[in-house]
Amino acid sequence: MKAYFFFALKRLIQLICVIFAGCSIAFFVSHLSPISPVESIIGRVSGQSSYSPEAIENLRAALTEMFGLDVPLHEQYFNFLRRLAVGDFGPSLLAFPRPAIELVMLALPWTFGLLTVSTLLTWLIGNVAGGLAGYYQNSRLLKALGILAIAIQPIPYYIVAFMMVIIFGFFWPVLPISGGFAMNVRQAWTPEFVLSVLHYAILPAASLTIVGIGTWFLGMRALVSNIVTEDYVTFAELGGVKRNRIVFSYVMRNAMVPQLTSLAMTLGAIFSGTIITEQVFSYPGLGSLLVTAVNRGDSATTLAVSCIAVIAVASAIFIIDLLHPLVDPRVRAE
Amino acid sequence: MDRRGFLLGTTAIGALLAAGTSLAFAQDDAATPPLTDFPRNETLIINNPENPSTNPSNFNMWVAGNGSSWSNGLHQLVLDTLWFIDPDNGLDGSMYNELATGPWEYNADFTEMVVKLRQGIMWSDGVEFTAADVKYTVETQIANPGMVWSAPFADAIESVDTPDDYTVHFKLKKPNARFHSLFTVRWNGAWIMPKHIFEQQADVKAFDFNPPVGLGPYTLNSFDPNGGWYIWEKRADWDKTAMAEWGEPAPKFVIYRSIPNNDKRLIEMVNGDLDMIHDLSPEGMFALANQDPTARGWFPGFPYAHPDPTLPMVIFNTQNPMFQDNRVRWALALMLDPLEMSMASYRGAATLSAIAMPPTGTHTDDYHGPLQDYLIGYELNTGKQTIKPYDPTVGQRIADMVRPQFGESVPTEEAAIHKSFGFGWWKQDLAAAGELLEAAGFTKQGDQWIMADGQPFKFTLKTFPDGVINRLGTDIAQQWARAGVQATAETVPDIFGNELPLGDYEAAMGWSIETWGGNPDLSFFLDSWHSDYVAEPGERQTARNWQRWSNPKLDEIIETMRVTEFTDHDANVALGNDFIKLMVDEMPVIPVMSFNVFSAYDTRYWTGFPTAEANPYANIVNNWANSKYILTQLKPAG
Amino acid sequence: MFAVFRDLIRYNVEFAIGAVLVTVIVIFAGLSFFSPVDPTQIYLAIPDQPPGAQYWFGTNSRGQDMFWQLSFAFRNTLIFGLTVALISRVISIVVGLAAGYMGGWVDRVLMFINDIFVAIPIFPILILFYFVLRSNLNGFTLALAMACFGWPYDARLIRSVTLGLRHREFTRQAVFAGMSPMKIMLEEHLPYVMPIVFATTMANMIWSIGLEVTLAVLGFTNINIPTVGTTLYWANNHSAMVVGTWWWILIPVIIVVLLFIGLFLLAVSLNEYIDPRSRLRRMGA
Repeated sequence: MKAYFFFALKRLIQLICVIFAGCSIAFFVSHLSPISPVESIIGRVSGQSSYSPEAIENLRAALTEMFGLDVPLHEQYFNFLRRLAVGDFGPSLLAFPRPAIELVMLALPWTFGLLTVSTLLTWLIGNVAGGLAGYYQNSRLLKALGILAIAIQPIPYYIVAFMMVIIFGFFWPVLPISGGFAMNVRQAWTPEFVLSVLHYAILPAASLTIVGIGTWFLGMRALVSNIVTEDYVTFAELGGVKRNRIVFSYVMRNAMVPQLTSLAMTLGAIFSGTIITEQVFSYPGLGSLLVTAVNRGDSATTLAVSCIAVIAVASAIFIIDLLHPLVDPRVRAE
Repeated sequence: MDRRGFLLGTTAIGALLAAGTSLAFAQDDAATPPLTDFPRNETLIINNPENPSTNPSNFNMWVAGNGSSWSNGLHQLVLDTLWFIDPDNGLDGSMYNELATGPWEYNADFTEMVVKLRQGIMWSDGVEFTAADVKYTVETQIANPGMVWSAPFADAIESVDTPDDYTVHFKLKKPNARFHSLFTVRWNGAWIMPKHIFEQQADVKAFDFNPPVGLGPYTLNSFDPNGGWYIWEKRADWDKTAMAEWGEPAPKFVIYRSIPNNDKRLIEMVNGDLDMIHDLSPEGMFALANQDPTARGWFPGFPYAHPDPTLPMVIFNTQNPMFQDNRVRWALALMLDPLEMSMASYRGAATLSAIAMPPTGTHTDDYHGPLQDYLIGYELNTGKQTIKPYDPTVGQRIADMVRPQFGESVPTEEAAIHKSFGFGWWKQDLAAAGELLEAAGFTKQGDQWIMADGQPFKFTLKTFPDGVINRLGTDIAQQWARAGVQATAETVPDIFGNELPLGDYEAAMGWSIETWGGNPDLSFFLDSWHSDYVAEPGERQTARNWQRWSNPKLDEIIETMRVTEFTDHDANVALGNDFIKLMVDEMPVIPVMSFNVFSAYDTRYWTGFPTAEANPYANIVNNWANSKYILTQLKPAG
Repeated sequence: MFAVFRDLIRYNVEFAIGAVLVTVIVIFAGLSFFSPVDPTQIYLAIPDQPPGAQYWFGTNSRGQDMFWQLSFAFRNTLIFGLTVALISRVISIVVGLAAGYMGGWVDRVLMFINDIFVAIPIFPILILFYFVLRSNLNGFTLALAMACFGWPYDARLIRSVTLGLRHREFTRQAVFAGMSPMKIMLEEHLPYVMPIVFATTMANMIWSIGLEVTLAVLGFTNINIPTVGTTLYWANNHSAMVVGTWWWILIPVIIVVLLFIGLFLLAVSLNEYIDPRSRLRRMGA
């Protein structure tokens, strides 16, 4: 237990460092921008109404202070870190002066839900199918699946998502293709709402899953086909252990460990796929918010989404890492 | 507990926690029952062209930049103001007296304006609308700089009085015959605020105005907390609103759906989940017309699109030394082939205009038609010869060009061709363009033009990242490049937000001319073109004169306009002619075409929409507040 | 080296297929050097022509011959992928060799940084780059930015190989002979990790090209430069899917999928070559 505690502590320190580094990178990249958020807001606000020069000057001063841009860069950076600790990214430009973090928090649950469901599905289906394919190497069906996996896995997310829209929204219009839930339910803790959310999530989640499965399938198949040559598997086979038990308890269990590590490693990439998927399905998550923020020149929201993405992905990796010793006794003994 | 049990347990708890946090955000009104369905024969579904609202629960659109949406139904169905003007014919003329009982009344020198208000109009919460609301709207916005109409009110209004509950008396700071236009809706105008709601707020700018209380015939039913849709329901007392004068709006529910992706708009309409589309790509429109027998555009066939009273153009930054000589600007215009521009941008479905006036609404009768003789006779001195640059056959040639592809649906009558494709445009004349450039001191080395200072004639043309304006800009830069100008097109994401107001461009695609459409008066854009408003280089230019061009004759026209009665048709047309001729001589922008919007509607569930050929009573482009009058003409289909 | 290549082609079907696919696409991309048209020009051909004798890959709604357009697109995309791969290989080799050979605190520090980079979601960061640079974001800048994030996984692999090499006899001999650590790493260890470098190059190219496509479809790259991603951006912009100009989307997708399959097969077969255990299995041992 003590070993696990140190292991967890080490990972926690790492988590903090990742968040610190990631958010710092995001901060400096966004502050290289030649477009000042203050000028963007003035442009947007004064474009809707004709302002006097004095009014613009007042607005500029107020905004500069609000964004904390009236001090040198290093001080801005320390202020940013201080504000980061309490989740303050300044006012958004999209919904000025509503705090950017509020917009992010509105979008976060949607992305979180979509990502969690599709990642779990993808990982489980891909690994089980890949494991079986690695074990039963002569099955025609599984071989065909392997070829399919190689062919589908490199198709860009966007194409798959859009094909889903065309197929299930146009040629055979049976599933909703935009939004998070139906117009005739209210967002509340009701069975109608939950069912509606699930209904609307089918296509986005399915498109993420289809693209994602291939990688796990191929990875697991390769791992398992190595493991089946190990002596202990041969012994188990000779010893008359049931095949199902061999596949799931002896072979896959061992292959799961590296696959769990890969899951942690690929979360960032999955996140980028989600952005595209949300865009295609007008899904109300972080991806849609990020795209809108970038297109409208909203640096506060863009920075907020980036930092939250860093924090979320790093935390997910942290949690997976914490689970690690539970599936892999070797890590636990370390 | 063994390891597997522990694993399962933690995973389950994790999943529950995840679900819990997701829904923790989703319980604002858990007590309210689920909504009823929206029967299709009582519901009109309209496409809101904007992205999902970024501040969905905010309806206070008097505050600039707060993220509240306008064209989600709020300004079409809920808010109201004194007058409306239609870019097309209108139900009974293009002017509508909404909250006012009749037109504005100015005094002799245009320093005072009196408005008489309708009686018996109710806010949606049952409080009566009176002159006090108008006075409050003006005074509140003057007192709170940063609201949408603060600056124009503060600039123009000395004081506002209410002699009685139904009369408003404005005293103006200086003579202004166009003051009423602040309260006249083209696509939007100064909406009246409900005094009894706002005066209870400590900070009117921070107020979210949810639910909105309005003067229109609809109220908020529900909305997507993520900003994707807004549902409005007809008021039981709809007859207590100004719009009742034009009839009862037919749909019980109106849904505005934000569908940013063009293709999905088409799919939703074909599936019967959308009755009106705001805009499609040209290809999308052609495909929709093919695939959906009940769908159509403004025109029954090619070119389908509704010409908006907006004039896409090449805008020169006239503060840049490169573009200060009108011979250079003219030379660049003469390098362009109008047929190619029409094909490249709109696949031929463009309505071209050689003059600085959108070829739409009543303008073709007021300006384009009558000015044909002037244009045909117009002479341009290139320095070596005098040419007549105008080609009146361009519209006809475009019709002939697209006929093989679109056949029957392309009009054949001259008048219809002029309405659809435009009258004419400038001839492409590279020789004359070269002579003009030489006259301006340019020289040609090889096949490239060199400016008088020895530098190559090289600039970027900034254009939109997508849509027809992107294609037009790409094509124009390409045509210039072929003619020896080192022009390259560059796409920028938010040209009206950054490059145009900051003057951070050499040449750009966009527009600085937008008109009423249904009236020859030009004040809508022209007042802001006065040299008083031209910013210094590097400073922010206030809206519309993006070319930063000034001219004494232009100031004269604007100053005369400010003291000419809006309703004096002939005087305004005369001023418009002066303006157009000055623009032809100077060419500070190259006018290209009207902004044709591929709006479409489906008659599967509703009929009675306006049509270009038979009944052009309203603009079908549904982010315009004026589109609300369509609702009174609709009938359930079948 | 050449002998290895010949053997791989001869005895490893996967390698052979992969090599053929990649070679064909590279040749196709190379054709762009002989293109009769400028890819930035529009309306040079009749728009919306389906694939046929005159236009092999059809024309798009912008009046561009898709054959030449895609040739340029794949050239830019391949150059982009290679640039990212090369730069990130350099970083991962330096980090991996140094961490593996030096060990101790150098290793700990480098691997700590490495783990941080693994955990940072790169996509939002890349979007930030676009947000800042906008149309100044050229292919090379984007490649550089991506390369800065594309090395950590492979650096760890290289480190693990170098760790093993450190205790081998020849390393000790080199140390006793007075070779500098730099020299040992570059001359003695580098050749051992080169197979891994080659295999990861393929995987890295798949990764970076996929990211470029994702960014471009959203319009978050310089859309004035033809690449696979911007081709899809423009197709989407002209409603290609619902309008029926399917070749505008289908052909680039097929070619890019073939390219990815080719690179994937190369990477897999190289991996197999590196890992003798699976090679033995293939030979039936």
